[in-house]
Amino acid sequence: MTMGWAWLILLLATYPWLLGADLASDALASSSLVFFVSGACLIAPSRRLKRWQMILFAGCLGFLFEARRPIPDGALALSLVAAAIFLSTQRQHLRNTPGMLRAAALVNVGACLIWFFAAAYVAPVPMGDIVAQLMRQLLLAGVVGTVCLLPIALTQNAAMDRLGVPPAAEKP
Amino acid sequence: MNGPPRIHVLPSTPVDRPRLHATFFLFLAGFLYVAAGLAYRQLIQSNELMEQSDNQSRRVILRPPARGRIYDRNGYPLVDNRARWSVKADLAALQKEFRGEYLRLLAAEKARNAVSIDREKLLEDARLRVLQGWLNNVWFVIDETNRHPKSKPTTKLAPVNAPNERQVNLDELRRHLRERRALPFTLINDLAFPGTSQAVTSEEGAKSIARFVEQFPVAGPIRLEQDIVRTYPYGPLAAHVLGYVKDTDVLPDNVDDISEVRIESLQKLRYTGKTGAAGIELSYDHVLSGRSGWELWSKTSAGYNQTRLKYSEPAQGGHVMLSLDHRIQKQTEDSLAKLKDGRGALLPAAAVMLDIQTGEILSLVSQPSFDPNRLADRVTSKYYDQIESEGGWLNRATQGLYAPGSTFKLLTATAGMRKKVVDWDDILECGAFFRVGNRDFPEHEPVGYGEVDLDKMLAISCNVWNYQVGIKTGIEGLAAEARLFGLDSPLLSVTGDTENRGQEMTELPYAASRGLVVPDRAYKKRIGDGAWTDGDTANLSIGQGYLLTTPLHMACLAASIARGETRTVPSIIHSRERTGRHIGAQPIGLSTAQLAALRGGMVRCVEEGTARIAQIPGLPFAGKTGTSEYPKNGKKAHLAWMIGYAPADNPVVAFAVLVEGQTENNIFGGKTAGPIAKEMLLAWAATAAPPDEAKPKPDR
Amino acid sequence: MEANRQGARASYVALAIFVAIWILLPSAVRRFTREAFVEFQAPALHLVGKSRDLATFWEKKSRSVEEMAAAGRDLARVNAALELKLSAYEDVRRENVRLREIARYNVPPEYLSVIARVATRDSSSWWQRIVIRKGRNDGIRPGAPVVFGNIVVGRVTTVHLTTSEVDLVTSPGFRCTAYLEGDEQNRIVLVHGVASNSLGTAKARVSVIPRDYSMPAGQPARVLTTGMGGVFPSRLTLGNLDGMTYATQVGNFSESLLVPSRDLYNLQEVSVLVPLLQNPGEALMQGDQFQ
Repeated sequence: MTMGWAWLILLLATYPWLLGADLASDALASSSLVFFVSGACLIAPSRRLKRWQMILFAGCLGFLFEARRPIPDGALALSLVAAAIFLSTQRQHLRNTPGMLRAAALVNVGACLIWFFAAAYVAPVPMGDIVAQLMRQLLLAGVVGTVCLLPIALTQNAAMDRLGVPPAAEKP
Repeated sequence: MNGPPRIHVLPSTPVDRPRLHATFFLFLAGFLYVAAGLAYRQLIQSNELMEQSDNQSRRVILRPPARGRIYDRNGYPLVDNRARWSVKADLAALQKEFRGEYLRLLAAEKARNAVSIDREKLLEDARLRVLQGWLNNVWFVIDETNRHPKSKPTTKLAPVNAPNERQVNLDELRRHLRERRALPFTLINDLAFPGTSQAVTSEEGAKSIARFVEQFPVAGPIRLEQDIVRTYPYGPLAAHVLGYVKDTDVLPDNVDDISEVRIESLQKLRYTGKTGAAGIELSYDHVLSGRSGWELWSKTSAGYNQTRLKYSEPAQGGHVMLSLDHRIQKQTEDSLAKLKDGRGALLPAAAVMLDIQTGEILSLVSQPSFDPNRLADRVTSKYYDQIESEGGWLNRATQGLYAPGSTFKLLTATAGMRKKVVDWDDILECGAFFRVGNRDFPEHEPVGYGEVDLDKMLAISCNVWNYQVGIKTGIEGLAAEARLFGLDSPLLSVTGDTENRGQEMTELPYAASRGLVVPDRAYKKRIGDGAWTDGDTANLSIGQGYLLTTPLHMACLAASIARGETRTVPSIIHSRERTGRHIGAQPIGLSTAQLAALRGGMVRCVEEGTARIAQIPGLPFAGKTGTSEYPKNGKKAHLAWMIGYAPADNPVVAFAVLVEGQTENNIFGGKTAGPIAKEMLLAWAATAAPPDEAKPKPDR
Repeated sequence: MEANRQGARASYVALAIFVAIWILLPSAVRRFTREAFVEFQAPALHLVGKSRDLATFWEKKSRSVEEMAAAGRDLARVNAALELKLSAYEDVRRENVRLREIARYNVPPEYLSVIARVATRDSSSWWQRIVIRKGRNDGIRPGAPVVFGNIVVGRVTTVHLTTSEVDLVTSPGFRCTAYLEGDEQNRIVLVHGVASNSLGTAKARVSVIPRDYSMPAGQPARVLTTGMGGVFPSRLTLGNLDGMTYATQVGNFSESLLVPSRDLYNLQEVSVLVPLLQNPGEALMQGDQFQ
């Protein structure tokens, strides 16, 4: 296997986490909250993958999330791609764990916000109490992003080690 | 060179320092002025300016409230609201489609190498085609399963095949875009109402709605909106009392107070609402029309709505409870509808029945009438003209002015007794005619009636008795008597409850208030007919001549006599608080024997006199008939009258019936109006002892 | 470092160009992308569904014999009662067919019932959906009603190869007409899913309830399908009216909420009623909804 396919393998390695998040959303169904991790999944790979690989990885990650949800096509995927490009320019901030956690919370909340507005945009009816719901959703996304980052990153790093992706520069 | 140094601005143009300073200060002042102005606008005026720009990007949409219901005295709704389902297109959401279609059309035009391209026209075509496409889709969904439940759907309807009402109306679209672009455009106005071109039966109408609701995409530019229209469940019943509604763009501004609605510069759009055009709908409009709802929208640069910022629902108007009893009303209308002229057209007629104690009107009919349902939404000019030509707009019971004929003899008798020119047991010799001046006034019996007293006079309606008494009483006495019983004062006017803000209003609009005539010497002089003569007095004594009154006045007269008072104040509004006291009423001022004779004569009139035909076994009642003449189309025609009260011994209701005869047929008071009065009384008697039927509750 | 920055700038520009192209692309391409990602995930969803089934199976298996025997006994009783009803129903059905023939009344749409297991649920503030493990391959078409017994679950909105998404009755994408139990005149009311109010349970709104409608005493009033819209069979239960009806300000009508008669999220199996013949609404519904 060439290094070129590393992003795809990594995507497959990450997918169980996405599925797990969907199942968690399923369990949360009655509260109308969504267990959102797509943003957090970007952090670990963006330290090590090449930029073009990150772009593909992020795009697919977004499309996987929005495939079954009625939001404008590509709204989340393209936003995640933009986030990936941005992250790839900010690698110096991702060299230690606190930095990664911070980034995970931020990116996850940002992506969740975009998803929320995209869904609201095509919703046939306006929802009452939208601000409270948005706040709850963003809070959940922030918490989930930070909490799930470590296990996700562990999985992703293991996969990348296996694939022989060069390790990221660490900063104490 | 000595002296102050000179500054060289350009080679060889030396400048004075003072002049330079002056210029500098001038510029500085100018700069300060501009800066100060800018600061003022930015810092001090900024809020105001911001608001202005806000107002340009926002608008208020006012939504009409539902009008209140009108009930009869037992709580049956005579006027109600029903749901109207309309299919509407959201023009803002269709912008993209308009644009796409426009570009397609433009490309086609260019491909045709057209010399000049009218882009406005193309854009209009594009809008029309898109809307027509959606309308076809709607009908496709509704029709395909309607007609061929089993067949596979075929292709879309071609616009050319669509019948007229299934076409988008270009003129309406133009007007809509010009005037209320921000509101959705109506594609189908009333999807479910049987009788319109859209649905034949109510079941089919319900089916159309169900098909649209379940099969048409929920999200999208085409929506099912539901509003309410006025409906009159009993059709033309009491149409003159209830009136009808017409479209209005002026909605009540009495919305829940929000500052936005009050801002003058803010654009306001109004849905078309309804306002009363006649009858109670008009006179009680202030009660029935509710509070408008409003929505505050931000708008796009193209003038479409963007987001709804705030809103408030409209509130329904108050309800009005009429004193009418719909059962008596219905029976009266049905009875009058049997009266037809030689060509089968309805005879114009009116009938009133009222409660003697309270003055509440139980039934008030004017014929010919109209169906307010057909006026509630879109009035066809054909129907309007038809009502106009039949004379259906006039409420004959309250607005029709007629000579009361022999029914006036009751007043001649009371006037005579009051002036003591005759008493109840005086017997007058009545021949075949009575000479006044050099003119013979005839009796309607060719040989005369011989000896006649009050009792007999009322039974047989003797003219000569009245000529004698009338002339002895004199015009002043007769006119005073008519005024005493209120024949010259307008009825149905009420002053000030809190709801109409203390203003004087009539319960029914345009009730006769001018036109009423109680003639006297001054009156005749005023209209330029010369001096008053005894002949005029003789005419007046039998209710002919200048005297003009309405059926409602005559019904009130009967009620007053039944109660032994001089006035009855009628009302069309039901109220439990009525005490039976009538404003301006005094005791009638006759002795017991006189009053008994007067009432006895009226009873005898029904038992063996001119109103025999109206007799009801088991329900003795008092009546007085009248047949008067009036000019119609240059010829003489008859008016048939009957007034009275029932039951004879313990009066509860009073009534008046009037029928306008046509020139070619002969109608008489007893013969024509009597049977109507009889059926009215039977209907009343049926309601007085109601069967065990569940009455609907007035309101929930 | 500088090279990295420049590369990023180039990437942003490329992304912007791609977004522009993406917007201008025919919607079919976007739909294809969406479909591709759905199908990519379909096996996982099936796996999830199957493992749920397995979990249920083991849960059932762990029950004691006594429990099972009791359940079997209850079931036998219910069965006997149903047998009785079934024979009566058969009579009624024949009578109905005969009367319809006499009256030349429209034959209601016929359906093919497809049993489907629920794979997963998906909800947000704007929609309540379930994903079922049957799709285009099994003949499911968009717009088909989804029921559980005689209870309406929702309607199929999107169909993929082996999975389909179902808008629940409480989802805003769901709309249908209904009768209210106890309304003698069979006047139609409108049922429309509403966005659930965040943490509250999802409900649907019932509007255009006639003012003189009164609920049958002592029991919740059921809301039944009309069968007039050509989509749902008639007299299926949509749910119960929420106790109170509240008057709207538009005069003659009141509104109420519809509580689904079962917890729609906890269904494990539903049947999709695929109409044998296509109704015209289907053609419109297949159009691109998210352009």
